[in-house]
Amino acid sequence: MGKHIKFFFEQSWLLLVASVFFGICLAGLNAWWEPKIIANEIQKFNDLAGGLITEAEKFEPAEVLTIDVGKGKTVDTEVKKALSGTDVVGWAFITEGAGFQDKIKLVVAVDKQFNKLRGFGVLSSNETPGFGDKIKTEDFYRNQFIGAPAEKFTLSKVGDDKKIDSEIVAITGATVTSESVVDILNNFISQVKAQMKEKGLI
Amino acid sequence: MANTNDISVSKTFIAGLWQENPVLRLLLGMCPTLAVTAAVKPALTMGCSVIFVLICSNIVVSLMRNLLKPHLRILMFTLTIATFVTIADLFLKAYVPNMSETLGPYVPLIIVNCIIICRAEACASQNGLVVSIIDALGMGLGFTATLCVLAGIRELLATGKVFEITVLSPVSQDGWFTPWAAMGMPVGAFVTLGLLLGLVNLITKKQA
Repeated sequence: MGKHIKFFFEQSWLLLVASVFFGICLAGLNAWWEPKIIANEIQKFNDLAGGLITEAEKFEPAEVLTIDVGKGKTVDTEVKKALSGTDVVGWAFITEGAGFQDKIKLVVAVDKQFNKLRGFGVLSSNETPGFGDKIKTEDFYRNQFIGAPAEKFTLSKVGDDKKIDSEIVAITGATVTSESVVDILNNFISQVKAQMKEKGLI
Repeated sequence: MANTNDISVSKTFIAGLWQENPVLRLLLGMCPTLAVTAAVKPALTMGCSVIFVLICSNIVVSLMRNLLKPHLRILMFTLTIATFVTIADLFLKAYVPNMSETLGPYVPLIIVNCIIICRAEACASQNGLVVSIIDALGMGLGFTATLCVLAGIRELLATGKVFEITVLSPVSQDGWFTPWAAMGMPVGAFVTLGLLLGLVNLITKKQA
């Protein structure tokens, strides 16, 4: 037995020492950079949500909700209240779902009563350049959600994109991505709204 | 007169840039080459990350080359490379968050980039510190330069811009250039890389 243990350490001592050393280095660097990484994420959320609820001065965490995203999977999303002074002027939260190429993460903002959408901002997406990635830049698509009822949206390929209602006109050449955004919003808005009502937040 | 060591060092450096260019001659690191070359900025960031990982892993492997057990060496290389890739990934997330998001999973995927493990095995585990660093620098710069050339061509044809600066005035801004959206997509990466490889083969054939 002792012979085996000796052989094990003779063979692998460098690997063990290197693992411990590299592990300590990574733990140290992670502890150093983690606050900055978290601050970057909060900053990005605040920038996007602040652009949607312009009267908000700051965003404060309100509640963490568990959302069913299908196929037996759930994700936790933190709902933040948008504050102007001490008054709540709206709510914002992160939503996510499958896009055409990769996961799409959106920041969604709604009004104080959760009746109308204040819009969405793209937190992260790797959709096709020139097509699906237009969800970040195409104002006509994004503007259709601003002031729209916070209910179930439907997607159509043709229609009046100036009319603010629950019918959303897709981006030409990016129907799948447009549909993904609508599906993500439909899934999260209904569940977040129901859970917030349950908890007496709205 | 330059001594043999100087010649060997300079040859090692130049080899990475041209004769043994990892992308154009050895066809290594194809995944990031195709995936992150839609624009010059992400390509340059990826190149710099690879240079950092290559230099650091070559230094560590070269320093412990006499202590390596042959049957455990790949494990040691992977452990070393994974450590430096994690450092690069954390650094990008902390200081260049937008670029980290653009590159997505391709920074962590440097761990399985054949260039790094190839240089650790072929050079760093058999040579001293100086040669290993020069080799890493040459290979890293060769990789970065190729990525930037590829990304420059694709970004120019896909958007009319290079480094996000307008070079060809697009039709949407009353210009004459119609952007080729396909060049920003995977098909554009394959076509451009294929043409670039063909051009390099033509040049090297003429030199031979």
